[in-house]
Amino acid sequence: MSDSQAIAVDMRGITKQFPGVLANNQVDFSVTRGEIHALVGENGAGKSTLMNVLYGLVHPDSGEILINGKMVHIGGPRDAIGLGIGMVHQHFMLIPVFSVGENIMLGREPVTGPDFFDRARARAAIAELTKAYGLALDPDARMGDLPVGLQQRAEIVKVLYRGAEILVLDEPTGVLTPQESKELFGVLRDLVKADKTIIFISHKLKEVLEISDRITVMRRGKVVGHLITKDTNEEAIATLMVGRAVLLRVDKAPAKAGEVALKVDNLTANSDQSVPALKGASFELRYGEILGIAGVEGNGQSELMEVIAGTRRASGGQVLLAGRDITTMDANTERDAGVAFIPEDRRGTGLVLGFSIAENSILGRERAPSFSWRHFVLNLIAIRNWALRLVKEFDIRTPSIDVAVRNLSGGNQQKVIVAREIGSNPKVLLAAQPTRGVDIGAIEFIHRQIIKERDNGAAVLLVSAELDEVRSLSDRIAVMYEGKIVSIEPPDAPEERLGLLMTGGGTRAGAA
Amino acid sequence: MTAVTDILHLLFTANLWQATLAAAVLLLLPALGGVISERSGVVNIAMEGMMLTGAFFGVVADLAWHNPLAATGVAMLAGALMATVHAVVSIQFRADQIVSGIAINIFAAGLTVFLVNRIYGLQDVGHVGQSELIPYINVPGLDQIPFLGKVLFQQNVIVYAALIILVLTHVVLFRTRLGLRIRAVGEHPQAADTAGINVFAIRYGAVITSGLLSGLSGAFLAIGISNTFVPNMTDGRGYIALAAMIFGKWTPGGAFIACLIFGLGQAIYDNNSIIHVSPYLLSMLPYLLTLIVLAGVVGRSTPPAADGLPYVPGSE
Amino acid sequence: MPLGSVLLAFVVDGLLVGVTGGNPFAAYGALLCGGFGFICTQGENPVLQISNTIVFVIPLITTGVAVALPFRAGLFNIGAEGQLLAGAIACTAIGIKFSSLPSPILLPMVLIGGMVAGALWAGVAGVLKATIGAHEVVTTIMMNYVAQWFLRYLIVGGPLQLAPGTSKSSPIGAGARLATVLPNDNTLIIFGLPSSVYRVHTGLLIALAAAAIFAFLLWRTSLGYEIRAVGQSQKAARYAGVSVRRTIIVTMLIAGAFSGLAGATEIAGVDHNLTDKYFSDSTGFDAIAVALLGLGSGVGIVLAAILFGALHAGGSVMQADANISGNLVFILQALILFSIAANFVGAIRQRIPGLARPPTALPPEMPPAAPMMTEAAVPPVES
Repeated sequence: MSDSQAIAVDMRGITKQFPGVLANNQVDFSVTRGEIHALVGENGAGKSTLMNVLYGLVHPDSGEILINGKMVHIGGPRDAIGLGIGMVHQHFMLIPVFSVGENIMLGREPVTGPDFFDRARARAAIAELTKAYGLALDPDARMGDLPVGLQQRAEIVKVLYRGAEILVLDEPTGVLTPQESKELFGVLRDLVKADKTIIFISHKLKEVLEISDRITVMRRGKVVGHLITKDTNEEAIATLMVGRAVLLRVDKAPAKAGEVALKVDNLTANSDQSVPALKGASFELRYGEILGIAGVEGNGQSELMEVIAGTRRASGGQVLLAGRDITTMDANTERDAGVAFIPEDRRGTGLVLGFSIAENSILGRERAPSFSWRHFVLNLIAIRNWALRLVKEFDIRTPSIDVAVRNLSGGNQQKVIVAREIGSNPKVLLAAQPTRGVDIGAIEFIHRQIIKERDNGAAVLLVSAELDEVRSLSDRIAVMYEGKIVSIEPPDAPEERLGLLMTGGGTRAGAA
Repeated sequence: MTAVTDILHLLFTANLWQATLAAAVLLLLPALGGVISERSGVVNIAMEGMMLTGAFFGVVADLAWHNPLAATGVAMLAGALMATVHAVVSIQFRADQIVSGIAINIFAAGLTVFLVNRIYGLQDVGHVGQSELIPYINVPGLDQIPFLGKVLFQQNVIVYAALIILVLTHVVLFRTRLGLRIRAVGEHPQAADTAGINVFAIRYGAVITSGLLSGLSGAFLAIGISNTFVPNMTDGRGYIALAAMIFGKWTPGGAFIACLIFGLGQAIYDNNSIIHVSPYLLSMLPYLLTLIVLAGVVGRSTPPAADGLPYVPGSE
Repeated sequence: MPLGSVLLAFVVDGLLVGVTGGNPFAAYGALLCGGFGFICTQGENPVLQISNTIVFVIPLITTGVAVALPFRAGLFNIGAEGQLLAGAIACTAIGIKFSSLPSPILLPMVLIGGMVAGALWAGVAGVLKATIGAHEVVTTIMMNYVAQWFLRYLIVGGPLQLAPGTSKSSPIGAGARLATVLPNDNTLIIFGLPSSVYRVHTGLLIALAAAAIFAFLLWRTSLGYEIRAVGQSQKAARYAGVSVRRTIIVTMLIAGAFSGLAGATEIAGVDHNLTDKYFSDSTGFDAIAVALLGLGSGVGIVLAAILFGALHAGGSVMQADANISGNLVFILQALILFSIAANFVGAIRQRIPGLARPPTALPPEMPPAAPMMTEAAVPPVES
């Protein structure tokens, strides 16, 4: 390497064993100074572990790290910060009840007198930084009140304040709107111009191709490829990530839409923070079709699904199931009426992680006549048979149905939910982020199951943050913006048009 | 009706309010300890045990050395030692912090009586002489102010100290770098850790501080207000301090107000000779008050976000 | 794992006795004699010791269940003691008021009365938790104190006092009493003592039934399933359509009923009236250790109750024979709690090469305690 292309980060032979998992296996990873280097791989490929090693949060069993050519020992985040390494975590390391200024200063606070926090100097320091990189922020705002994009900006400023030369961004666009993502990319390019080095972790290949200079691909704890971005393409990266050729498209026959299954009329509801999130959504869903809801996360999709499923109270409007008002029905009664729900937060709400597969397979149906006598005494034999059937039909990879779902992989956990909900032959299937964070093999399987349900005559309502998923699965696309359905589009509508609608533009033109 | 008029009458005496402040301070010290500990993210229901241990060792030391100042120091150290056990078990070993707290309380109750028997045989502990108690000091001049003088300036040394500690706790928690870090650790230990703050050190410090303050309160009880050690003499004050902390929404000022209310209940009970109602029914007052307060007056209050959760480095 | 914890606690406790100048072997020997009637050196009557132990074990099983059940729902019932007192008070009040009724009517009345009183006592905490999110640890502790002072009021100068100057109530009617296991007269002589001295009573069957009902309820019924689901993840339970609030309230009501039953069987089986003994009763607190040590299984609770019952019964023998305070038992109990909660044994094993096992949840299947005052349990930290 020439001097102009000095190596900023050089990790050699990093190995880390967690109980039951070899998270990093002899990983070599190097990043040139002043580049944007993408680290890609499926969930569980070992990207986060590798970066936690770099940041001192995880100590490797073996291997060495060189920063700017010097061998270093990184015992903790403090060492990493001292070496000019900064990390913007996927789950922000921000304290919602603290001010922006306090969050940015934390750990390197300006002090006056014996130990008093010096607000004036904190403000000045932030003003200087935000000016230098064009990242406007109000230091006195309460962090929890800021939109996600600004919170991320605060994270970046926080890292810069600590003098970071090497910035690690873990899945930074996962929570951003397309507009916010564009802004972020602008910021990253400015940072590179200011001679910063950036490691960009992502599984979204389009973004990786757009922003990075070079790419390192990981699979099952190993590095399986080094690529130069301008010389590669999406298929090639996906094949490396998964280890086999991947079909990025979904095959399906045209829909045979029937009667109206679900009619949602002017539905309104509040979010967990008690502010209106759903502001009068209306649409119809027919048997035998998949209606996909496209939208930037946080525009009321979650609340819409929860209200229909009966786990959130509507503040107004109506939901009709085959003409019958189910607006105020609770989740149990709705399930009995044939509405199945795959909730978006698999680990938080879809499963009881400490329960076995068998126990999870009847979650919400523990009082159903098929599983309990007089709604009280559980029929353990019926439950076992049911669970065994689901494991077989839905290809859940497990040694037994008595394994706690906590110990299953993300894909198999999701299959348990999908099996439970689809296995009861619902009339209406509500699927929220059905493939979030699962490996590509499981994604293909779950997609096929959803299409199969449609072909069997069920009405499917799909919400996904991945526009590609919505486009490939849906027969019609409803675009949601600020709590309303702003337009119904065909599945082959141009991506640009959908993107515009999702951010509040283009409705007039669409209606015309 | 007579009971009500008796109490009303009582409310206009300086004696009652003087006793109220003293009783409140007894609760305030462990409550402040609880605030500090829980602000750092360690649930602490062990103030009862730490206080009891402090009371016992305070008496032992005072009987041995005839020096109330040294005895107070010993009491604080004893409380801190118990707190260290809680810290090791719940921070290092990531045990359930409520179980650990209960274990501390049972341990303290058992240990103190066990040691009374080992050290003093099966008899009484014995009494500390009047001159060897933590002194009451009248602030010259100010103590002559009608009514207020008696209430505020004719008090035990510990009462003055506690009021200073109250102000200090507030300033440290909300104005200083240390306070910012303590609160950060209690809200989001991962964020604090990635910012280079030593989460374990902060938590250890906070829990041990709660032990020092609880031990101080124990000393006040045993060799300030009383003059001997009686088994289980704290009588649930550590638990009431816990309720005061919650009632005060994890703030020093709020906790103080709560302690004053409970202290008033205690003072009314102590003056029961002039109230024509069973003292036992009156005794229920502070506890019922706590329940009512929890049920309605304060509504829902939010603890520090990471309160009670052990920190595992490297986790998300 | 629990066996190791108990062993570790005994070793540390023995050290404490040794350090303070006692003889740990004499102390444990006396405990063994007092608890199980083994190796009695001072001519104690082994059958009497066992009988006394069982008398301690009976309420420990029932209150152990009363702590273990809410534990499965993620609730910490520190209030078993107060609920037990409420049950004892109700049982006594009914037993006195209707003392002339025959046993087939009065006995169920006092037992059910005790259960209802205990359920109401715990229900206060359940309702406060479910509706406004008041933390049950604080509310149940407060209810304990209220019960204790109310009891004092009742039997010292209050409406249930037997006679001025005493601190006990009148006895309950003959029909309200549980039969003893051995004939309650002087016709049978065992180890030189008339059988009426042996106080072991038929409340034992009630306690064993309570443990069995607990196990059945938890593992074989939809309610138990819901209790466990709420304990593991309130959010997932709510999404599945389980009413978290109702489950919390129902769990506390059932738990309180068990504690109240323990209080009622104590009155109906052992004391027959309220006495100042109940001022310093600690059964409901011992129950916490019983529930944790019993790992929340029916059999485990019975075994743990036997251990602690034996310790308590043995404590007085230890005091007499080895001149070591019976309070050692409390220290032992605290050490066992620490040891289980912190899984010291597991930690030690981890550090000895060759013995290392993959880390397990500690203690097994224990739901994370919800932070003070919040309704929603915070999900465990994901790694």
